[in-house]
Amino acid sequence: MVFTLPREGTTQWLEKLLEAGEVIAPVRGPCGDVIFSALRSPAQVVWDFENPLHPPKQFVLPQTDPLVKIKLNGQRHEVEPIHDDSSRTLFNVRSCDVQGIAFLTRMHEAEPPDASYLRRAHNLTIISLACTTPCPPGFCACTDSGPFLSGGYDLQLTDLGGSFLVEVGSEKGEAAMAKAPDVFRKATEVEVAERKALEVAAKAHFGPETCHFGSAMRRISTGRVQDALWEKMADWCLECGGCNFVCPTCYCFSVKDLRRDGTWVRCRMWDSCQYTAFTLEASGHNPRAQRKERMKRRFFHKVSAQYYTRDSMVGCVGCGRCIKTCLGTTHMPAVVAAIRKGKWHE
Amino acid sequence: MLPVPTTCPFCACGCGFYLLANQGELVGVALSETHPVSLGRLCARGWNAHEAALWGSRLTQPLVNRSGKLESVSWVEALDHVAGRIRGLIDAGKSVGVLGSARATNEENYLAGKLARAGLQTNNLDFSYHSICGPLLTGLEEVCGECTPSISLNDIESSQTILLIEGDLAETHPRAASAVMAAVDKGAHLITITHTGTQMSRLASLVLPARPGNEGEVIDGLLAAVLNLGLEDRASVEVRCEGYDALRRDLEAVKITAEMRQAAEWIARATRATFLIPPVSGEGPPSRREAAALATLAAVTGHLGRPGSGLLPLLARNNVRGACDMGITPDRLPGYHRLDDERSRQRLQDLWGKKLPSPPGLDAESILQSVSALIVLADDPPAVLPMGQRALAALGKIEFLVVLDAFLTPTAQIAHVVLPIASFAETEGTITSMEGRVQRLHVATDPPGEARPGWQVLAELCARFDAGASYRSASDVLSEVGQATPRYAHVGQSEDRWGGIGMAKGSNGGKFRLCVAEAPRLTPAEGSHVLVRDDTYDWGRDPLVSFSPTLSRDFQSQRKLFPKGFVEICKQDADAVGVHPGRPVRLTSVHGEAVVPTRVRTDLTPGVLLVPYAFRDHVANVFGTHSVTAVKVEQA
Repeated sequence: MVFTLPREGTTQWLEKLLEAGEVIAPVRGPCGDVIFSALRSPAQVVWDFENPLHPPKQFVLPQTDPLVKIKLNGQRHEVEPIHDDSSRTLFNVRSCDVQGIAFLTRMHEAEPPDASYLRRAHNLTIISLACTTPCPPGFCACTDSGPFLSGGYDLQLTDLGGSFLVEVGSEKGEAAMAKAPDVFRKATEVEVAERKALEVAAKAHFGPETCHFGSAMRRISTGRVQDALWEKMADWCLECGGCNFVCPTCYCFSVKDLRRDGTWVRCRMWDSCQYTAFTLEASGHNPRAQRKERMKRRFFHKVSAQYYTRDSMVGCVGCGRCIKTCLGTTHMPAVVAAIRKGKWHE
Repeated sequence: MLPVPTTCPFCACGCGFYLLANQGELVGVALSETHPVSLGRLCARGWNAHEAALWGSRLTQPLVNRSGKLESVSWVEALDHVAGRIRGLIDAGKSVGVLGSARATNEENYLAGKLARAGLQTNNLDFSYHSICGPLLTGLEEVCGECTPSISLNDIESSQTILLIEGDLAETHPRAASAVMAAVDKGAHLITITHTGTQMSRLASLVLPARPGNEGEVIDGLLAAVLNLGLEDRASVEVRCEGYDALRRDLEAVKITAEMRQAAEWIARATRATFLIPPVSGEGPPSRREAAALATLAAVTGHLGRPGSGLLPLLARNNVRGACDMGITPDRLPGYHRLDDERSRQRLQDLWGKKLPSPPGLDAESILQSVSALIVLADDPPAVLPMGQRALAALGKIEFLVVLDAFLTPTAQIAHVVLPIASFAETEGTITSMEGRVQRLHVATDPPGEARPGWQVLAELCARFDAGASYRSASDVLSEVGQATPRYAHVGQSEDRWGGIGMAKGSNGGKFRLCVAEAPRLTPAEGSHVLVRDDTYDWGRDPLVSFSPTLSRDFQSQRKLFPKGFVEICKQDADAVGVHPGRPVRLTSVHGEAVVPTRVRTDLTPGVLLVPYAFRDHVANVFGTHSVTAVKVEQA
């Protein structure tokens, strides 16, 4: 079913959503950045924005994620799981990030399922805002994860100017609409046609970034990337870990216990496979001691056929965040191009 | 989760980001695209900046050492005890001192300076990082008359030529390395002066090999090549430069290589050129001469005073410049005014309402070895000073040691009184980057336990020594800073969104006094070896790194694997000596000897043995008071 939401109805709807739980939406932060943050009022929501650089994955996979509390009771350790049962709505999230969360959920659902992640994901309602204007660094057309989605969302909004077209993707989406049923009406054929025209127009207005995964996937999956190329590229990486942290599909972590008033809280923390010590073993041995080895591992993981054969997608959703945040010059499109051409900076 | 904008607490690049807190605890870091320095990017340290404050051994209560044990006491008790003991020692004619800090705010440093000079009536005032970065600033000042940088990090990106004296830029200042990389990516010529194969050297168009400690010789070679090829900027030399003829004479005998000629051409012909000099530990005079010679090279090629061109001293820690601006040095008042400058002294006396002491004070190393009472603000001298563990031994002999810190550092562990202060995530204040941007810190969470913002604690101490004023906030302190040093007078008036208070770019309007780097430090005999302390700043002992689970891993692992340290040796030398990787060598110099395990490298210049700064204590005997020395190497 497809509905229409008049622009003036958004405030009432958001108020109802806020009554039901936390609503996370892009808001303008104190220094002008657009950031995903918990809404205090509907007026804070921004509607016309380039996708925030800090991804919304933090609301399913926080940078510091307390998992269990460990207490010493006499001679015994008592372990108590920490549950985050908050009901959250992720509002105005972009198509690439919806696909990113879908990717993370597939990964965390795989045996053994990750209860902490899944509890958050299952309590999350995703209301996306289709990209009528692709963002400048985005290349989601190359990863089939935008600018419009055909699934993966609970609701997909398309800005038609005076109103929003609302596509329902799940029962969670229906439930979100049911919070303020009066503000929605059935969409007309003209409105549906307008949404389709916007999608066609958006696809014709991508920025300069492209990422031809096909041939890169063939080369990397069949071991046809020379070691010398990784070595060369590795010199252009400053090992900041930014590509991992902003990537909607990266989920690597490490675990550390935090001491708090006689108890310990075991936390999962974002980690970067590009850090030297990520694979460092207690013996001091490091199977990927050199940066070229870590870089090769990362791009093999993202670009090789492993995900494609399983999920029909690569480990990239084309958001373009790594282009902006790379402290060096080894972001996804640059490295994919180098793999494809077999040369770097020549 | 509310994002709180703040300034990065690590190196002096001055990046900004948001701290994320949830239910009163730090949980992460978020990027900013609007911050004029970071522009949506951070290095590994920035990305993990929240960790130390959350996971670290935090000081939460005032502690007083009673019969060998630190016991918690009330704030009033602790502060009264400090005031009573120090007053007693001063009355007994004993000397006292204060160490400020490159990781404390401007407000905290200013009050530490006021406490020393107005309260304790001493100029024994310094900070550990001054030994690393002071020579760079002094060298620049000798040539330019001021030590403010003449370019920003963003300017580097549009340079056509970059001359980098390489420490390990990618490790010490990743944001600066990023700017250099961006320029090279656009086609700039990168020239590095180095003795090892670093990441930046591998990106360089030209590597000028320098014997360790003799980088000045290469700079002199470049200067000679510029003059020899007639590549000077005539306008700059004729109008702005003093001492040109003497410079020409001093360079007559200097050897010029073909690579130096090439580098000189690239530097002189560039419309925009960048000169980068890293912080080095110890041996102040040669570093100062190198900085001065580099500034001279920039001046004669017309790159000083030209928009977009210039020299940027790479300061090691986030607020080195701020601490210098606040006068945390034994011989300068706030604003770099000399101690013997009567007008400046009088102005400060009027502001503080106290007569100021006139005899120059001691530097950090001497303070540790000679005072009876010492107040240390967020500094850990054994981690920073070249003297290493000898600094800890010296601190242990001090009659009354007071430490204000957020973290339980080795220095705090042996203090007689520990005063817990807020970390960077829990206090208001300002930090001055190496570019000269004065930027704000904001409170993201409350300080743990009874810890208080450092400025409050220092203000209380000032009051107890009759150097008080009533400050209700860090901003009140900053207003007084504006009266003490005019450059800070406009702070708060023309802030950008990030609270940045503009760059203190050098005006470079005056004359440049040209000079050479002069004689090399060491000319070892042919075929012999030199042992070199790698003075690349060691982050491993910094509390913000050592208390971060993510950032400390490499350093911890290395210390665990090499409890006796190691010395790096090139393959060729290892084979010649007959030592296998990991096996020890005996190093003998005129100062002494040591037996240390080896690590074999393929990118090291033959004849050079390199000791990481972190392991300097293991070869302290061999170095004596130097950082480069000729050694005999044998199997142990």
